[in-house]
Amino acid sequence: MLLDDLLARRLIVLSGKGGVGKSVVGAALALAARARGKRVLLVEVDAPLEASRLFGGPPSRGRATEARPGLFTVNLDAAAVMDEYVRHMVKVDLLARRILASPVYHRFFAAAPGLRELMVLGKIMVLEESRARLPRRPAWDLIVVDAPATGHGLAFLKVPLAASRAIPVGPVGHNARRILKLVRDPARTAVVVVAVPEEMAVVEAVQFHGLLADELGIAPAAVVLNGCHERRFSDEEEAEILRLIGSGREGELGGGVPLPAALRAARRQIRRSRLTRFYQRRLRRRLPGPLVSLPFLVRDGIGVGDLETLAERLEAA
Amino acid sequence: MPRRPRPEAVLEKGLRELKTLVVCGSGGVGKTTTAAALALRAAAEGRRVLVCTIDPSRRLATSLGLAQLSGRPREIDMPRGAERGPGKLFAMVLDVKSTFDALVARYTPDEASRRRILDNRFYRHVSAALAGSHEYMAMEKLLELTGDEQWDLVVLDTPPTRHALDFLEAPDRLMGFLDTSVLRWFLRPYFVAGRLTLKVATRTGAVALRIADRFLGLEFLQDLSEFFLAFESMYDGFKERAARVHALLRETSSGFLLVAAPQAPALEEALFFHRRLSEKGMPFLGFVVNRVHPDPGPTVREGSTRRVRLPADLARRLEETFHEQRVLARAERRALARLEVDARERPVLVPELEQDVHDLRGLVAFGDAVFGGAPARAARQGAAR
Repeated sequence: MLLDDLLARRLIVLSGKGGVGKSVVGAALALAARARGKRVLLVEVDAPLEASRLFGGPPSRGRATEARPGLFTVNLDAAAVMDEYVRHMVKVDLLARRILASPVYHRFFAAAPGLRELMVLGKIMVLEESRARLPRRPAWDLIVVDAPATGHGLAFLKVPLAASRAIPVGPVGHNARRILKLVRDPARTAVVVVAVPEEMAVVEAVQFHGLLADELGIAPAAVVLNGCHERRFSDEEEAEILRLIGSGREGELGGGVPLPAALRAARRQIRRSRLTRFYQRRLRRRLPGPLVSLPFLVRDGIGVGDLETLAERLEAA
Repeated sequence: MPRRPRPEAVLEKGLRELKTLVVCGSGGVGKTTTAAALALRAAAEGRRVLVCTIDPSRRLATSLGLAQLSGRPREIDMPRGAERGPGKLFAMVLDVKSTFDALVARYTPDEASRRRILDNRFYRHVSAALAGSHEYMAMEKLLELTGDEQWDLVVLDTPPTRHALDFLEAPDRLMGFLDTSVLRWFLRPYFVAGRLTLKVATRTGAVALRIADRFLGLEFLQDLSEFFLAFESMYDGFKERAARVHALLRETSSGFLLVAAPQAPALEEALFFHRRLSEKGMPFLGFVVNRVHPDPGPTVREGSTRRVRLPADLARRLEETFHEQRVLARAERRALARLEVDARERPVLVPELEQDVHDLRGLVAFGDAVFGGAPARAARQGAAR
């Protein structure tokens, strides 16, 4: 259901504050789309190669790397994209090299407002529009973008709007308007907000949702609540667990698991799962559109198997 | 070897004695909450504390349980039990644009040049968006706030960035951008002539300019050029100010607190930052690691205690829950061990609290979890002194 809706577009942009697991959600989405036979490109921006780490493949610097059959990852480094752009524009190789070697060029690029974001988004637009030669179809059925968590999530998506206003003429302004059109078009782009069941992340997701609509006219396609502690014990069992804790009962369960420690662990799990439900309710009440919950994975490092679990959840949502 | 003091004691001493505390860390590690909780703790110890955050989503307000905070310091009512001392807690959100404006006003020689910058289209639309301007303005504000005798301690919560280190490096980036050599390189000769001319110093510069013109359009370049020309008179002032911030951050009355989560990526960031601090000769106060999951402890030898009879299905889920939390806690402990190996520092560990921290009560609980429930007692002692 959700996946049908998301995969009707070819570009998914994930947004959310740092530490909410956007990379993991992006990788799971890519896997879910791949399971439906889509040719998928997972894009990271200036990231420490999170996607290739998750898939255990070789690092995917500037060019698309096939992490699994039909699933590619690419890490877009804004500076490299900019260099590529300069080389593309300056046909004379020697001059291009001189510009690229100039310290002033680097200083300008390092601080110029929004230039990094604009370059990266421009590259994403090029990827979205690129076509395979044979058969004539889009080169990518789906592009999943793990938007940088720098600052407010909105900053990344607002850049084309700001640029199209600040630069009234010329190709950069023109491209900014084309990018804006792409991200605003609900038939082509789905913005997905990622949060975790915690106060600050939920507050931010609600704010972000509102700002996205007010300032950019974009309605997010879905909210993904990552790291949910799911309900594991029934009401009666919860009462029994609390009663047993109160009784101070000693002893062990199977495998030498001490009962008191297991009960304390269960009580923590119960508290976290209550908080999860509280935030699920709040998000449902406050935000229109689908809410998808993904489970908190208790693992020592997340592997491909875990991603597949999450992908199945997305498929079932 | 002399025994090193506990990291909690070092932190507590810092809260009593420092004048500036800079709280750094990568996104999502609980930096703002930590800054607010420690500021509250210091206020409960009797100090007059200002906590300043720079955050477009007003996270500090959330963590203080308030709907809004403004660009001016606002007094926060101390929670019960902590309000008896002479200490006070103020909080504010940094307004990047108005701080930038104030800086422009300070360093422009006259009203005309001030207006020339403030009215410049490039300045109005993008000055707050210049990469590094948030960090730069945070430092600028810090300089202003620490100069104010009103505060015993200023706690600065740094902007949310993917990489913690951006806070230290961004101001240099901004200064590099404002450096007029950028202008000299390709903009100025072009516009001083007032028309499209390619008689610039170097052929490379000419090509760069032609590209810039082709892609950004003349109008934008004109705005940019005017901005740089107007800025030229201020550059030295900015630079001098930046040097003072650098000096301030190196003083012994300043301290950097590095906040992380107990997972490898956040800890690596913190370690990297730690190395850079010592390279730059900046005072490190400690590591704070948030949301550390408790270890439910080891299993016992099977059959060494009495087997408890529970419904098989419930027993299985209890065992599973126990094992899960054990795996999680041990993975975190392994990740944390790197701080001691690589930085030879023990972190302050903040356990995962039972409730989410998003109000004053939560912040008190945070402080209690780190230092034990001492703030009220300390506040009473403060009142008695």
